[in-house]
Amino acid sequence: MFSPGVAPRTSLFKKYFRVLFAAVVVPLLIAGGSEAWFGYHDQRARLNDVLDAEARLAAVKIKDFLEGIREQLGWTVQLPWSENPGDRRRLDALRLLRQVPAIESLSLVDAAGKERLFVSRIGLNRIETGEDLSDSPAVKGARTDRVWFGPVTFQGGSEPYMTIAIAGNRSAVGVAIAEVNLKFIWDVISGISVGQTGEAFVLDRPGRLVAHPDISLVLRANEDEQRPLQSLRTAILALPGQAATGQDITGKTMLAAMAPIPGVDWSIIVKQPLAEAFGPIYDALWRTVALLIVGAILAALLAYWLTQRMVEPIRMLEDGVARIGAGQFDHRINLATGDEFERLADRFNEMAGELSVSQERSERISRLRRFLPPQIAELVDRIGDDRVLDGRRVDVVVLFCDLRNFTAFSVSAEPESVMGVLREYYDALDEVVSAYEATLINFSGDGAMVLVNAPVSCPDPALRTVNMARDMQMRVQKLLIDWRKLDRRLGFGVGLAMGPATVGRIGSASRVHYNAIGNVANLASRLCASAQDCEILIDRVAAEAVRASVSLVEMDARTLKGFDQPVPVFAVVLEDAGLRQLRSGPG
Amino acid sequence: MRFTPHAFAGTIIRMRRRDVIALVAGAAALMVPARAQSMPVIGYLGSESPDRYGSRLKAFREGLAEAGYTEGRNVAILFRWAGGQYSQLPALAADIANRGVSVIVAPGGAEVALAAKAATATIPIVFEMGGDPIVLGVVDSLSRPGGNLTGVSSLSVEVSRKRLEFMHDVWPNTNLFAVAINPMSPTSGLQLKNLNAAAESLGLQLVVLKASHEEEFDGMFSAVREMRASGLVFSSDPYFAYRSQLLAALAVRHAVPAMTQSRDFPLAGGLMSYGGDFEQSHRHTGNYAGRILKGEKPSNLPVQRVTKVELFINLKAANALGVSFPPSMLSSADGVIE
Repeated sequence: MFSPGVAPRTSLFKKYFRVLFAAVVVPLLIAGGSEAWFGYHDQRARLNDVLDAEARLAAVKIKDFLEGIREQLGWTVQLPWSENPGDRRRLDALRLLRQVPAIESLSLVDAAGKERLFVSRIGLNRIETGEDLSDSPAVKGARTDRVWFGPVTFQGGSEPYMTIAIAGNRSAVGVAIAEVNLKFIWDVISGISVGQTGEAFVLDRPGRLVAHPDISLVLRANEDEQRPLQSLRTAILALPGQAATGQDITGKTMLAAMAPIPGVDWSIIVKQPLAEAFGPIYDALWRTVALLIVGAILAALLAYWLTQRMVEPIRMLEDGVARIGAGQFDHRINLATGDEFERLADRFNEMAGELSVSQERSERISRLRRFLPPQIAELVDRIGDDRVLDGRRVDVVVLFCDLRNFTAFSVSAEPESVMGVLREYYDALDEVVSAYEATLINFSGDGAMVLVNAPVSCPDPALRTVNMARDMQMRVQKLLIDWRKLDRRLGFGVGLAMGPATVGRIGSASRVHYNAIGNVANLASRLCASAQDCEILIDRVAAEAVRASVSLVEMDARTLKGFDQPVPVFAVVLEDAGLRQLRSGPG
Repeated sequence: MRFTPHAFAGTIIRMRRRDVIALVAGAAALMVPARAQSMPVIGYLGSESPDRYGSRLKAFREGLAEAGYTEGRNVAILFRWAGGQYSQLPALAADIANRGVSVIVAPGGAEVALAAKAATATIPIVFEMGGDPIVLGVVDSLSRPGGNLTGVSSLSVEVSRKRLEFMHDVWPNTNLFAVAINPMSPTSGLQLKNLNAAAESLGLQLVVLKASHEEEFDGMFSAVREMRASGLVFSSDPYFAYRSQLLAALAVRHAVPAMTQSRDFPLAGGLMSYGGDFEQSHRHTGNYAGRILKGEKPSNLPVQRVTKVELFINLKAANALGVSFPPSMLSSADGVIE
């Protein structure tokens, strides 16, 4: 797909890296995210509970404060009024003032609603004033509900006061009305702490600040300033059962919960700075973030390492395949991953080995083609084994042929003509040799040497050779008709002999030939040399072998160079009409 | 100049050394003034002398400590004492205002507060007084005082009539009482009015005795004895309050049953007292001074009213005078000296 040198669109490394990185980081992110989410919600729920509990506890404390006053007041409304109460009541009232510092003045009213006694820390005490208080809201309220809490008033626009009235268990005991200085709640409210810096404050029903750890906020009685606190209460009321966030007077964001204070219809609100309330979850979040970062870094390193491990063998395979593809068959891919990659590398190595063997073989065969006829070359190829070319001793038929008077012709003729003649000559011989599946050993000058029955053996080699020689004569004689116009003396003679010879590859390291060595080669060569134009001379062994099917003429034994005794020679009778005609034609 | 690296490095080192030397020298030079400058100064205007203010100063320092300030450690206090010469107060207040203090503390009555108020309109002032600061023209509003003043008021002035009531409780069968008034006090008129109203409602006859100097005290006690009044009720006034020992001694000498605003009086041998808790008021004063030093604006600090009013009785003095207290008083007293 990709031609070498063209970079792929994306690399495997990047792909694997992304996938592996994502495989670690995504679960990590999901785990971290969900932990943070649930942690936040748990903390929020916990804060709801904690603040709610704190608010209720604080409400109980404020209620206890009021309840304490109420209980003390209760002592004053236990005995029924008589006409002359005497000093006893006054003493009780003064003791009450002594006992409860928050009560600034106390008024005792009898069953008829007449004020019988008034004691005060500031004003003059009064006895038996007889003032009719039966229509005052305090007396009415107390008579209906036993206990009556008046609205909060700010004396001098600053000091918070409230009237508490209490009635006895029967109307005869009358009603006690106390003026209570609410600044004394400060002791209670400043003692309430929520977390590290959280605090509580009290709002009355219209939303005025009744109690706050910073008493000056109460004394300032500034309703505009207190508006954030009212908004905070509104926010809490909007989501019952949940802590609400809002701003306090200082503008800090707070988490606040509220509890009602029964009886007085006040609300106590506990607030904690949001930053402090969520401090633990913020810490946890930062821890999670830090872990995520560390996790991501580890994941990246792991992914890098794994990807490297994964891609490295692929790179080696790629590189190895490229080298093998480029013909470097001896290259081996060394992988010891122990997995599929190693197996793949082994396959590639095997393939390279086979390619190498096959290339070697094809090189060898192409070398063999030079001296083997194509059919034989292909045979060797098919067998895939060139041991057929190994040296051995077999009975072969050796044929030599050459042109007569070619040397003289080559001297006198133009080189182009010489080359043209030789080309046609070789082509013709080659065709014939191929047709008879004989082995063309070599061309040398105007001669050629052909071997039959080696390296591939064939049936009846002598007859085959003789037939081949006749075809050679036929073909060359046809060519000679034209060539004789160049030189009348040109002719073609063939000699062949049969007998044992040593055949095989002979040569130096750089040049190898297939050849036949032995007397038979010598003899064939000599026979060729002594053959006339248009003659095929064969030795006795060959003649014996073909006598049955070929007409032979026994000639006089000839003395041949290299042979001590005269050698019997036979000539193949060329009865072919065409040849005779050729011979006799232009004559 | 050839700028070789070596020369460059040398320059840097020289520069650094020079800078370091300059820094050290500068720091050393700045050290003492910087320390002094960093410590805020409170101007304390006292109408009397330090020994008469002793218990008040103790409470004041406690209040400062509540706000996180300790004299000599992180705050300095510049004292100016009038030594009983109230006419000197304006000059002393102006002196304090000119000394660049961070806050002026003006305890011990409306005179001191008004003197401080007249001296500056910018430096925060924390006052301490017995009367109503609005009526006395010190502030316009208790909840939002505005301007540069805030402070603490006790209920001493309001409760002067209660003293008459207590005296009447001890001598329920007599109806002549003497009342001591300091005509120099800005609250005297109001108190006299209250006392007269109380006397009327209690059915008592009042003889008003005026004294604005220590020298007149002796004559006052003699007059009470001469007119055979059952007792002497002191109106609320710092001048009287700071001279409780003297008044107690005179009361013992003249065998006159007397009642003042300050617990110092029965503690020094006087018969009884009823008035605001000065320890509480001076502690709040110190607390407010500290909060202002921390940066709070006096206009955001409402005038605080000390709610506690205390009754002190000296039984020894009562025995000496042949007086017996009704059980209601004994039971409701905050302190009984035996």
